[in-house]
Amino acid sequence: MNLKKRVTPLMLAIGAMTLAVGAQADTLKIGIPQPMTGPATQYGDQIQAGALTAIDALNASGGIKGMKIEPLLIDDGCEPKQAVPAANRVINSGAKFAVAHACSGTTVPAVNVYEQEGIVAITPGATSPLVTDTIKPHFFFRTIGRDDQQGPFAADYIAKQLKPSKVAILHDKQTYGSGVATQVQTALQKNGVNVAMFEGINVGDSDYSAVISKLKALGPDLIYFGGYHAELGLLLRQAREQGLDTQFMGPEGVANKDLVAIAGPAVDKLLVTLPADFTKMKGNEQILENFKKYKRSPDGAFTMTAYAAVQILADSIEAVGADPAKVADHMHANSFNTAIGKVDYDAKGDLKHFEFAVFRWDGQGNMTQIQP
Amino acid sequence: MSDLIPLLTQQLFNGLSLGAIYALIAIGYTMVYGIIGMINFAHGEIYMIGAYVGLVTLSAIGVNSGLPLPLIILLMLLVAILVTAVYGFAVEKIAYAPLRGSPRLVPLISAIGMSIFLQNWVATGQGARDMAVPSLIGGSLELTLGGSGFTVTAPYSRIMIIVVTVLLMIGLSLFIKYSRTGQASRACSQDLHMANLLGIDTNRIISFTFVIGAMLAAVGGVLIALAIGKLNPFIGFIAGIKAFTAAVLGGIGSIPGAMLGGVLLGLAETFAAAFISSQYKDIVAFLLLVFILLFRPTGLLGKPEVEKV
Repeated sequence: MNLKKRVTPLMLAIGAMTLAVGAQADTLKIGIPQPMTGPATQYGDQIQAGALTAIDALNASGGIKGMKIEPLLIDDGCEPKQAVPAANRVINSGAKFAVAHACSGTTVPAVNVYEQEGIVAITPGATSPLVTDTIKPHFFFRTIGRDDQQGPFAADYIAKQLKPSKVAILHDKQTYGSGVATQVQTALQKNGVNVAMFEGINVGDSDYSAVISKLKALGPDLIYFGGYHAELGLLLRQAREQGLDTQFMGPEGVANKDLVAIAGPAVDKLLVTLPADFTKMKGNEQILENFKKYKRSPDGAFTMTAYAAVQILADSIEAVGADPAKVADHMHANSFNTAIGKVDYDAKGDLKHFEFAVFRWDGQGNMTQIQP
Repeated sequence: MSDLIPLLTQQLFNGLSLGAIYALIAIGYTMVYGIIGMINFAHGEIYMIGAYVGLVTLSAIGVNSGLPLPLIILLMLLVAILVTAVYGFAVEKIAYAPLRGSPRLVPLISAIGMSIFLQNWVATGQGARDMAVPSLIGGSLELTLGGSGFTVTAPYSRIMIIVVTVLLMIGLSLFIKYSRTGQASRACSQDLHMANLLGIDTNRIISFTFVIGAMLAAVGGVLIALAIGKLNPFIGFIAGIKAFTAAVLGGIGSIPGAMLGGVLLGLAETFAAAFISSQYKDIVAFLLLVFILLFRPTGLLGKPEVEKV
């Protein structure tokens, strides 16, 4: 008796859900797993700003083939162990497309999931070569360069513009940090620059003064750090405390506003390689208008790359329909005009060209593009 | 190499200031172990809470409030000490006191639980992001040794850590040696049951131990926050592990041992980073720990354990 009473509403609910699924035929879900908590939250915020603005703009102009796009925000915390659950949530929600992950550490384990399930995913932030080199995915793409594009670019700038006689390289011993540091080391040595020191430091330590004193005795002209802003902030602060004024340089992982809070005025003169400032690129005026219209900031290294990811998905679905297999084929075969310029993919989803630039910080953390 | 002497001096200073921090936190582990024979894994979190309370106090006062700097730091220390003392007391009453007399593993697990709880408690309240602490104590003492190009730099914030640690250690040693409470706690550390039979309120002494440990950790938290300038809710874990190692190295249960262990560990890490590679500093430091424990299983100043019947 009692059971029946309970079962009837349940049946109704299931019925309603089935109906709802049927009614959802004219929405298109895009999963957006990225860090919404933890120290890398800022990168997630940038990805959200870019992806959501692109989605809002598409929806305002009628969606893709009459389908409205529904973004699904999922938190991966930039933690490798949360990556696969986050990817599974994308799949379980019924999304066939994703703008996926900011960090290399989360992207590397998640790629397998998208590849096996045939979900077309584009990362706007993960730069590690391991993302695409290990399984050579068909369904996974990037809208950002690889460390082995960024490392040589940084090394090229160091060798040709800064011309230091002695360089020290530090890294944080993690996938991303040590990866990019190794790339820089190899490229510098190829260019004949003397790399006098190459060492890892511990993430989470609070005292790097021993390494700083060692650097001071070594007297390099440039210190390159591969890693994230939290460690670089302490390195900078403790270096200035010990009176070490050497120029520091880092990859895009250090370019976080929190760096200024930790290091204070010590960020002055810091050099960072980042994706070029696409907000200043010709042809992006309409996109900047969209950001203004939806009250989001177009600034940040991963905002425009995320915008471009949504554009590429939308263009492809417009061309061949919402079948992930066809979309992936289309993406490999064609080139796209996006917020980050013309995009061409190679066989494993890496960009054929990607534009990096060198930025210089001032003491307040404002960046100016100095190269190219 | 003419730079060797100044470089050695610099690294010695770096090592001492790091060791002083370890020692301050290690005291908390060793005192609790000395009396009730358990390892209070939540102690690192108490240190972290001390640092946070200091920062919150600083934000409440305001960096540019016009108050003299020593007064601001004193206020930060006082508030941090008071609040963490309450935490230390409460942690003992909630998580450990009800388990007294149960098998050893039970309070240990309870301590790990408490540690995770406190981390997430602070992460929820203050956010998991790194927080920056404004550098109040700028400047440093500079010393040019032997006419070489290398200047030995000792930031005032770090000199303060060493000075305060030394003062607190002397104070604590005198207190334990001569005060009534101190004598009672030594009695408890020798034999808890016997002390109880002789009319010492052991529950009060245990609470006192946790409170003193928490207060020292709070001082450490505030001073380090000022010197390092970065906080997040998870700093307590690594600091706690290192301090616990220092306590074991010096002989757990022995207060002078904790100081010695802290300084030794700090020096070992620093010199390994300086003259081998910072990549290997933990390997070297912990190898040292293994070797010392192989030859002196009770640590450097630890007394061989007498089976209490």
